[in-house]
Amino acid sequence: MMRLALISLAALLPLTAPAAQADTAEAVTELIVPAYAAFATATAALDTATQQSCDPAVLAPAYHAAFDAWMAVAPLRLGPVEDGGRALAIQFWPDPKGLGAKAQKALLQADPAALTPDAFAQQSVAARGLMGLERLLWPEKPLPADPCPLLRATTADLARVAAAVSADWQGDSGYAALLQTAGEPGNSTFLSPTEARQALFTQIYTGLEALRDQRLGRPLGTFDKPRPDLAEARASGRSLRNVVLDLQALRALTVALAPDTPKTQAAFDHALTLAETLDDPVFAGVATPGGRLKVEILQQAVTAIRDTAGVELAAVLGVDLGFNAADGD
Amino acid sequence: MASRRAFLAGLAAAAMPKPGWAAVGNPAFLAAGKTGEAYEICGLSEAGEILFRQPLPARGHAAAAHPLRPEAVAFARRPGTFALVLDCVTGAVRHRLTPPEGRQFNGHGAFSADGSLLMTSEVVAEGSAGRIGLWNGRTYARLGEWDSGGIGPHDMKRLPTGALVVANGGIATDPGDRSKLNIDTMRPNLTLLSSDGDVLDQAELDAELHQNSIRHLALTGDGVAFAMQWEGDAAEPVPLLGLWTPGRAPVLCPPAEAEMFAMKGYAGSIAAGPAGIGITSPKGGAVMLFDTAGAYLATHRRADVCGLAALDSGFLASDGGGALLWVTAAGMEPLTTGGPQWDNHVVPVGMAG
Repeated sequence: MMRLALISLAALLPLTAPAAQADTAEAVTELIVPAYAAFATATAALDTATQQSCDPAVLAPAYHAAFDAWMAVAPLRLGPVEDGGRALAIQFWPDPKGLGAKAQKALLQADPAALTPDAFAQQSVAARGLMGLERLLWPEKPLPADPCPLLRATTADLARVAAAVSADWQGDSGYAALLQTAGEPGNSTFLSPTEARQALFTQIYTGLEALRDQRLGRPLGTFDKPRPDLAEARASGRSLRNVVLDLQALRALTVALAPDTPKTQAAFDHALTLAETLDDPVFAGVATPGGRLKVEILQQAVTAIRDTAGVELAAVLGVDLGFNAADGD
Repeated sequence: MASRRAFLAGLAAAAMPKPGWAAVGNPAFLAAGKTGEAYEICGLSEAGEILFRQPLPARGHAAAAHPLRPEAVAFARRPGTFALVLDCVTGAVRHRLTPPEGRQFNGHGAFSADGSLLMTSEVVAEGSAGRIGLWNGRTYARLGEWDSGGIGPHDMKRLPTGALVVANGGIATDPGDRSKLNIDTMRPNLTLLSSDGDVLDQAELDAELHQNSIRHLALTGDGVAFAMQWEGDAAEPVPLLGLWTPGRAPVLCPPAEAEMFAMKGYAGSIAAGPAGIGITSPKGGAVMLFDTAGAYLATHRRADVCGLAALDSGFLASDGGGALLWVTAAGMEPLTTGGPQWDNHVVPVGMAG
């Protein structure tokens, strides 16, 4: 139903008017580029700390700071972070087959040669990144070997990847420039300014769906079979925190792109209030009827943001969901 | 080596003059699209130029090009209650094909090499049992039907031998609203039918991939490349491309690990040619290329990309924003922009299917 509403409303609005209100440059230069730079800084700090100590208690603050910084850009799945599977190498989640733990187990007892920067960069994306670090810092079972060499290899790799992503957004040939020169001669990535706005809109729309289906949907499971064990970053106690940060990142991107979107912003604020007052940091409550209901209400609020953005934000930006992407056959 | 010879022979056949199609500029491909609120079908050159355009009364899925006459059969989107035989010279609707009572078109069709027979993928509306509808290729009278060998057939391709490969997607859908009814138990297959409709061979995927719906096909000489759509957990990486030579087991072609989620579990079109095999994902906004043996080559990003056809060098891709693009392993560049919002498929003219 919303899809129909979206298409019909978008069709009524002239495609030229929205551009004046939509600000790709604002979103890119004021928000996205600084956020990737901050993520690179935070992962470098985590790496520095890890080279000095492998004590989980010492490393926890730097780990959380790096993960927080990632959450500011985590919904973005375009550009440099998509090159060579970098987004997966930064955070491999969800991982229903436990690929990360399996690959990591082998690395824990591997020849140190597998942990040199060049060799480690070739290891499975599932073994690397923030979730790999979480398994070493907050292990479910005692680890079969000293995790320190693997911890250090993982933080160094994470900092390297984060720096590369940040660098690839910047400069004359960076991805920020590509988004801002959409439609200009020589830009074969974005053939019109609408395509650049469309790309950023898609990040918000699909980001909200991923939040609903993965970060909230995985622990919710079904009524008969809730899966609190599948909550994201449960071992480090970040499940709800990631939901709040995800909502904040998506809201900030919406506001930067299209300040005049009161309904969408109100929908974000409603969901943020629900999330911030939810006293259930790792969604353990989904196993009880009352606790489950609260998370379901939050999930419905996220769906409501998506549906509102699909109408209001799409209209302001003069874009839609994609002729084929929203169809399927 | 036999397959390579057959492959080259197939190309030579494709390049042969197509008498009737000269009247509309000898298009290499047909593609449907939408401009404003109007739907149309266009003939395209290999360089992405629009050679003719004719209106369609509604959004279509795929088309089949008659091998000799400038006629396109445009299939309605599912549930497919009709198909139109369009005169590409005048735009006149020559015939309106309606499946028999209790049958629905399922999006694709293929002509025999001489154009005397049109075969259409169909389902029995209740239960989605697959049928191949048979139509006279000149009068478009219904001749009969074959069992497709599975549930929910979608694409089909005719091998050089005259046998037909059918992708039975395995999904039973509600006849009214297309909702999927059997995701937990679906079992897609590839079925090879003789020119009399007898089942000559069938292939299934391993049990853990039973939710990988086999939907679209491209000819690779003596076999097919097949593209899949994953109905299981989106977080499980699964191959979306496979190769099947009848008489052998299907071979799956995984992407590079770093690109395992680039397609979002969804391949919308497939094409095969001298440059290898390509699959597209409008949901992932990506084109993924493999070599002719199925080894992964490259992934290129393009929002809402879907239609794909093989060129002598590389591929032609279409997107929902009106661009036609030239795709090779090295990269992707626009050929033409500002066309209609291109729909799912770019169909070669002069080859069956």
